[in-house]
Amino acid sequence: MPENTGTTSRTIEPFTCVQCGCLCDDVRLVIEGGRIVDAVSVCAIGRAALVGVNMEPETGPAALVRGKPIDVEAALDEASRILLGARAPVIVGLDQSTNETVGRAVALGDRIGAVVEVGDFSTTGPRVAGFQRRGRVSATLGEIKNRADVVVFWAADPITTHPRHWERYSVEPIGRFVPEGRAGRKVVVIDEKRTPTAERADLFLALEPAGELEFLSVLRALVRGVESDPKRVEAATGCGFEALVELAGILRDARYGGWFTGALAGRGAVELAEARHQAVTALVRELNQHARFVSIGMGEPGNARGAEDVLAWQTGLTPSVDLGAGYPEALPGATSAAHRLARGEADAAVVVGDISLDHWPAAARESLARVPFVFIGPPVNALASSAAVAFSTGTVGLDEDGSITRVDGVSLPVRAIRARRYPTEREWLDDLLTRIEPPAALSSDGPGAGMVSS
Amino acid sequence: MSTLRIAGGRIVDPANGINDSVGDIWIKDGRVVDPPAEPDARADRTIDARGCVVMPGGVDVHSHIAGSKVNAARIMRPEERRTEDQVMRRWASFRSGTIGSVPSTFTTGYQYAGLGYTTAVDAAIPPLGARHAHAEFGDTPLVDKAMLVLMGNNHAILDAVRVGDPHRIKQTVAWLLDAAKGFGVKAVNPGGVEQWKQGGDRLAGWDDRVDHFNVSPREIVSSLARAVDALGLPHPLHFHGLNLGVPGNWSQTLEGMKAVEGSRLHLAHIQFHSYGGSPDQAGDFDSMVAPLAEYVDAHPNLTVDVGQVMFGETTSMTADGAVGHYLANLHGRKWFNLDVEQEDGCGVVPITYDDRNYVHALQWAIGLEWFLRVGDPWRVALSTDHPNGASFRTYPDVIALLMDRGLRADVLKSLPERVRARSGLGDLSREYSLSEIAIITRAGPARILGLPWKGHLGPGADADVTIYTPGHDKRRMFALPRWVVKGGEVVVDDGELRRAPAGRTLFSGMDVDAGVRGELEQWLAREASFHPASFRLGVGDLADPLEVGRREGI
Repeated sequence: MPENTGTTSRTIEPFTCVQCGCLCDDVRLVIEGGRIVDAVSVCAIGRAALVGVNMEPETGPAALVRGKPIDVEAALDEASRILLGARAPVIVGLDQSTNETVGRAVALGDRIGAVVEVGDFSTTGPRVAGFQRRGRVSATLGEIKNRADVVVFWAADPITTHPRHWERYSVEPIGRFVPEGRAGRKVVVIDEKRTPTAERADLFLALEPAGELEFLSVLRALVRGVESDPKRVEAATGCGFEALVELAGILRDARYGGWFTGALAGRGAVELAEARHQAVTALVRELNQHARFVSIGMGEPGNARGAEDVLAWQTGLTPSVDLGAGYPEALPGATSAAHRLARGEADAAVVVGDISLDHWPAAARESLARVPFVFIGPPVNALASSAAVAFSTGTVGLDEDGSITRVDGVSLPVRAIRARRYPTEREWLDDLLTRIEPPAALSSDGPGAGMVSS
Repeated sequence: MSTLRIAGGRIVDPANGINDSVGDIWIKDGRVVDPPAEPDARADRTIDARGCVVMPGGVDVHSHIAGSKVNAARIMRPEERRTEDQVMRRWASFRSGTIGSVPSTFTTGYQYAGLGYTTAVDAAIPPLGARHAHAEFGDTPLVDKAMLVLMGNNHAILDAVRVGDPHRIKQTVAWLLDAAKGFGVKAVNPGGVEQWKQGGDRLAGWDDRVDHFNVSPREIVSSLARAVDALGLPHPLHFHGLNLGVPGNWSQTLEGMKAVEGSRLHLAHIQFHSYGGSPDQAGDFDSMVAPLAEYVDAHPNLTVDVGQVMFGETTSMTADGAVGHYLANLHGRKWFNLDVEQEDGCGVVPITYDDRNYVHALQWAIGLEWFLRVGDPWRVALSTDHPNGASFRTYPDVIALLMDRGLRADVLKSLPERVRARSGLGDLSREYSLSEIAIITRAGPARILGLPWKGHLGPGADADVTIYTPGHDKRRMFALPRWVVKGGEVVVDDGELRRAPAGRTLFSGMDVDAGVRGELEQWLAREASFHPASFRLGVGDLADPLEVGRREGI
């Protein structure tokens, strides 16, 4: 939409902020003189990202080949050539993209036989594997708001990382069954250090990250009423036995409890993240013999959850799927795109979105520097300049609309608020899909195994 | 658009009184049309259907194919989709996918069409889950889709029922249906899921009260059934009863049928609600289909779908979170639960129906009793409550059992002996005719859904047609249609899936009183964890939307 210049002021609401895992969809932006000058119902993180944003930013080249501006058609031809010639491509990123964009990326992956991996596998892999072993007992955030009288932050510090979580979802809201708001909830923080969140809790337990798994097991045993040796418990967890017994009592006596965890379900070793996720679910499941209790992730910025969901509904598997055999396969570890790159097994890549590669093994980053890759994302970006072909896009939520999904599975609309400078991620992927024709059908060969029940 | 003639087939079109009579079907612009007046008229394409059985496309009145619980089941169960027979390969412009008990989206569409089904209703979407479910519908080709929106535990509904103002209840239903762009209204264990979320005891009876809201299941169901009728919705209130799976639940099922006198009601997966015995005495468990089926036959306001159990591995998924919790404890397997604010949620648990297990074997027999005991096939729809009783991919097996009493006897013989004493199945010699199969798989469900242009082959009907090669092996006949036509396009051609048009999304257009909408949105802003503007979907959020009209004369 064209922007008013001059001094007239206008507001945009509701706007959905994607800067942290809260995905607040109740933000009001004030626009003046072609910029966002104020944002209401945002935290400091959202404010820093949004206030000052230019509603009419300068436009650069829409496409680059090896860092040089080039005609869009030529760039699409070059990208198609790379992808059609690839024998083992990977598609990564997508956790800042809309659900609709992810759907197109999975379609492209299916067509070229790629490994499609959404987000950061080092954190999503253990969580999904834990879910596949034990399941999960969870809720949407509004259930916490309306019902929870006990809220636990497990190695999580929302006051720092998710500033509005406390006021909007978990602690302060007046709820149907919690008319007293904050006063009606017991807030427990279990963490390595006395964080800003711990400062505001009713109960804080300090816990060394190395003891997290034992802590969860001991707590489950106490909730179940298993006789435990206080000395051994204290040795295993580093926590006082009486404090643990008190905590078990608080949890068991809850009417409705919410257990919030970060992406790795603790601050301990990444190798134990899957075990911790399983232990949280086992504890929460045990608590459901006594009370209603759920666990919910804190959530990541952007659309990590939605990207996982779309990949799952289109293929049946997530968060990393190998489509190379002509059908979806997922074997944890073996199909991680980063590991494919690290082992030198990938010969081309598509990177969608302004993603960080910090979590990748060094060998995978080096590999990405060697193989030709197509980047679809913001123009001013290290990946854009090192890509074989880079397609410039705007920013989801500012320039591209669609839907994104909160950590609790609630899908929310995002609406573009300024005139587009570049095609969207989705449109670039559509352009590539148009160029990369499906393989011709073999006349004698049907869609294959499983066409009908057998 | 081009014309298509299906020539010389044995037409089975019970809605139009045509029972295995040789004739032609003419199709133009996606609709069935009258045959041309000129005797030598030629179509752009003619399918030689001589010797084949021609039926309308199948219509599934109760299935779970989209949304958060379905997708959670996919993610939770990779073990079901690792073998060669559980995948579909990428082929031409067809997408690859995986099957298991909960197929991926594209595969769901391909598999339904591969069985000759062209319409499927997802029976349990919470209003807040509609955006996700519609997105999955958009990736589920070949079938027309519609969703039933959960309202039986909705806080706005329960508040309105407590106040007891019919206009308010009706407007709240309209508001929720409009926000979700749903087709019909579903009530799951009304009040009971809310009670479970509050940590309360099971609501066992129709007059138990839901804590805090102070309403009873009877008040909720009768209010919703009346509101659905008053709004003129094509499909009656779609009802999942109290005490699902609990021995002795048949008496509450019968009480529920009586409670809605004067309103239409569709009772879903009735098999799970027809048990004799008592909750504390599992050994007393037996079939009580006979008195329930008799009541249904005598009351034209009632319809049912069966929720047939078939033996094997599957995944249970329900908006009745309490049942999910019960099954998780019973089987000790992995459990997914999601409480959704304001309305229900879901429970997902893997389940293996074992033919050596007396309870499972009796559930199998009770389902078949329903098909065989209801005299009027128009009132009973084939369903497995996919994937709860079994995958929809087992429909050909169910059909074979209904058409062949010898096959039933063979299976019954292999089951635990007590099943024969506790179910009357062995005494039921009825065999379904082709026409009756056409009724319970397409004509009846279309009529139950209130879709006058589906489930038949008269002029004006959707050109959704399935053409089978008849044979002694009924399972094979219904598993491998030779041609399937969707909206006039030949999608299965000579046994091979050739095209995958998108399929439409059916929804009921609603007029919502602006004042009521404003009040409810203000309430939502206070109570919900999201902005009201995120709640209401627009028609543009639907894939290929088709607004469905109201019923006349209500």
